Amino acid sequence: MRDLVMRYLRCDLRRLAVFVSILLTSFAPPISAQEREMIIPVPQSAYSQAVKVKGGTLLFLSGVGPADEKGVLSAPGDFRGQVRAMWENMRRIMAKAGGSLDDIVTMTVYTTERRWGEIFTDMRKDVFKSGYPSSAFVEARKLRTPGAFLEIQAIAVLKE
Amino acid sequence: MKIVVVGSFLLLNLVGFASAQELKKEFVDPIPQDSRSTAVKVKGGTMLFLAGHTASQPVPDADLGNFDAQFKATFDKIKTTLTKAGGTFDDIVSMSVFMTDLRYIPQFNKLTKELFKNGYPAVTFVEVSHLARPQSLIEIQPIAVIP
Repeated sequence: MRDLVMRYLRCDLRRLAVFVSILLTSFAPPISAQEREMIIPVPQSAYSQAVKVKGGTLLFLSGVGPADEKGVLSAPGDFRGQVRAMWENMRRIMAKAGGSLDDIVTMTVYTTERRWGEIFTDMRKDVFKSGYPSSAFVEARKLRTPGAFLEIQAIAVLKE
Repeated sequence: MKIVVVGSFLLLNLVGFASAQELKKEFVDPIPQDSRSTAVKVKGGTMLFLAGHTASQPVPDADLGNFDAQFKATFDKIKTTLTKAGGTFDDIVSMSVFMTDLRYIPQFNKLTKELFKNGYPAVTFVEVSHLARPQSLIEIQPIAVIP
């Protein structure tokens, strides 16, 4: 008798579990989890050959350079200082958009100082914690802020 | 009865997927004086990746050194491409602007103000030494998301 009751209960519990799981998927956002895969990472230069991503919200950024919010150049003549200022600006913009630096999937790096490319890629190793975005590195003659050594145009995919 | 309940939840799921395709767009930190947004956030819609567009013929060299004429001709061509794809200027979310002289930026900003009615795209300016044609002053590579 006890066995029969248990069997009945178990069966009913199973039905309940199916019902609850269907109920839960109804309330979950349609694309709940973002899938992301870094293809052929190149850790020595802190980039990936490709980033595969499914789901999420796209974020297209204007070029971010080493200028403060008033447009005044930070660290004139100092490449490392400008790289730091640029990442700080990027961090602030990503936070404002509801994400973080790790949401960046690709970037085009425009620089007036190609010879300092290795300094840039070395410093980039500390920026990304969960895989490197894809990247291109291009020499430009001039950038929007006079005296700026670099500007980055990024695309991010936010998790939401 | 149970089938009806389960069925209705499945239907709810499908509706959720359908509405996910609707375009949601947000302009993050717009900078109106520069006719651009710091970033543009989009979910859903159909993406359109455009080639770099430049002014070109009909009359060779008619646009030589004339920034306003090249700007207009470039955006006329972008409009043709967008229209063909079922979009408008307002669907542009990002532009890479390559120019041989960045001193045209204020003029560029003045002219773009009239193009975007519902919010500005993200814009990156880059000065390059040459474009495809020797007389080209500007090339624009946009990305659009069409509702």
